[in-house]
Amino acid sequence: MKMKRILAFILALSMVFVLVACGGTKETKDNTGGKTDTKNKDWEIVVVPKDATNPWFVRMETGVKEYREETGLNVYQKGPSETDATMQAQVIQDLIAAKVDAICVVPVDPPALEPVLKEAMDAGIVVIAHEGASLQNCHYDIEAFNNEQYGAFIMDNLAEAMGGEGLYTTMVGHVTNASHNEWADGGIAHQKEKYPNMKLLEEEPRVESEDNGDVAYQRAKELLKKYPDLKGIMGTSSFDAPGVARAIQELGLVGKVFTAGTGMPSANAEILKSGVVKSLTLWDPALAGKAMIALAVKVLNGEKIENGLDLGIEGYQNLKFKEGSDKVLEGQGWIVINAENVDSFGF
Amino acid sequence: MNENKMSIRRKLNDFYGRDVYTSRLIIMLLVVLISMLILKPAKFFSFINFQTMVAQFPEFGLMSLGIMLCMITGGIDLSVVGVANLVSISSGIILKALVAADGSLPWYGILVSMICGIVIGLVAGVLNGILVAKFSIPPILATLGSYELFLGIGIILTKGKAISKLPMEYSSVIAGKLFGIIPVQLIIFVIMAGIISFLLSRTTYGTRIYMLGTNMKAAEFSGLDTTGLLIKTYALSGICSALGGLVMLANYNSARADYGAVYTLQCILIVVLGGVNPNGGKGRISGVVFSILVLQMLSSGLNMFPQISNFYKSLIWGCVLLIAMTLNYFSENRNRNN
Repeated sequence: MKMKRILAFILALSMVFVLVACGGTKETKDNTGGKTDTKNKDWEIVVVPKDATNPWFVRMETGVKEYREETGLNVYQKGPSETDATMQAQVIQDLIAAKVDAICVVPVDPPALEPVLKEAMDAGIVVIAHEGASLQNCHYDIEAFNNEQYGAFIMDNLAEAMGGEGLYTTMVGHVTNASHNEWADGGIAHQKEKYPNMKLLEEEPRVESEDNGDVAYQRAKELLKKYPDLKGIMGTSSFDAPGVARAIQELGLVGKVFTAGTGMPSANAEILKSGVVKSLTLWDPALAGKAMIALAVKVLNGEKIENGLDLGIEGYQNLKFKEGSDKVLEGQGWIVINAENVDSFGF
Repeated sequence: MNENKMSIRRKLNDFYGRDVYTSRLIIMLLVVLISMLILKPAKFFSFINFQTMVAQFPEFGLMSLGIMLCMITGGIDLSVVGVANLVSISSGIILKALVAADGSLPWYGILVSMICGIVIGLVAGVLNGILVAKFSIPPILATLGSYELFLGIGIILTKGKAISKLPMEYSSVIAGKLFGIIPVQLIIFVIMAGIISFLLSRTTYGTRIYMLGTNMKAAEFSGLDTTGLLIKTYALSGICSALGGLVMLANYNSARADYGAVYTLQCILIVVLGGVNPNGGKGRISGVVFSILVLQMLSSGLNMFPQISNFYKSLIWGCVLLIAMTLNYFSENRNRNN
């Protein structure tokens, strides 16, 4: 009797699994069916973000879904359940085994992905990266903009808030994240050139927020307590500036300490409107997702990729190779959000 | 005819009854395999997919073996990921130091870095064992504390960055394939599983740690060297984690203090699902190996469904763990009633 009960349990469990899975497959068919005219409808292009739950990548997924609806191609997003380099590598290994045609990846930690991306390229899969300018094993890497210019742009915003003077430091997601560090470097270089009255905190010139709002908040609180003279924190990841803003608010330093950096409009409407943060900068992850796929399609079609490439996506209509690189392509995709325009983005 | 049928049924029943946990896992394995056969036959049942899966599980499979040993003694080892990362970081540093001026790695480089890694794992394990056995710190606290310690050493050694640009020789040997077919990671796992299986079933050490796990006091009063046994067990767990770390180093060709942070819970899930009693004294390596296979197939299988986002993964694994423990409760009850 007991054995039967146990069997019933397992059967029920397996039925749930099968039902969920069936539901999934049906949906794919509905979306791709009926558009048999594109000759390459069988192409399977997968976007692998850093994780599946981060709002940044949820927004990227909207772009991916839009692209699927517009073109009928079999494109979808598949990320690890947590921001972890090992989990991300395993998702890619599984995709290689599933023989997809192209992988578009936003690497958690570029060096950790080199072996698995090499495997993908050896298997004839097209590899497109985003925010991974240091990757060796990819066909192309798309950046929304020139990293130094964007860093300088964040610095302009921070300097404007700080009145062009005072002590500041920089915050990155991880010190291994290539883009975040290039922005920070670009920001510092721009400050040295244009804002001589500002000074970088030499004891801790770069802190890590681990791409996590709570960590950013804790780090900012520690910094502000340890260095009372600190007047500005330049954020890079989309969690930095909002986390720092929380610390500024909590310590009662609004109007005395400032932050600037990347941030999502909907998550930051309140801090922008209340004046804790004057302006945030960003590019649209949905468009970046689309641009990666569009580039993958071009590579799959065997088209020539050269300076001035037009992907037909806003901000990615005139891509240029980064100086000295034949892999990294840069667009002009940055935007500023402030109290006035924060509600107009719709995400 | 009828008699024949009866005896087959009885045999099946006997088999199921003799090792409920393993039989249940075999059934789960079949369920997953059949589901995949119906839903994604071409993608799942390809040679490359199975090759990928058996190359993926050794890194956390090895750590699970370590946790299993500790759990048989009634303890637990939460520091496995910390040890693995510390080992992969130190071996990474050693590898980089051994590279000759012309960028090539001497022939003994791989061996030296692996042996150093294993020794570091052994030392870390002995430290855990001493904390648990000599100072009687509860294993959960002792190993959680040492996890933080190993993590800290790792962060200091790397300054929080990843150790990368390692000589490709190491990665191409350890993450390579024997005869172009069998992943080397799998071979490492099979050898270690074989050694542990031998220790548990054929040596007095094995019998003793089961006794120790069943009743610590009784084992002590019957003259067993409990301190020595515990230190040996945690040391063995350290070696397993070290091997896991060496495999990780090869898979990612880089090392960082926080790689694989989610493996701790995943390994506990595997061990409990495999029928090892968290209170000690019970558990078989076959159960743990099947449980590793089930979870790996579930995980790779889920990655083949574009519509199932990976944030269901935690949910599914949580459910699997709770269901496994509930079922274990029922089977324990049946055993008691009989």
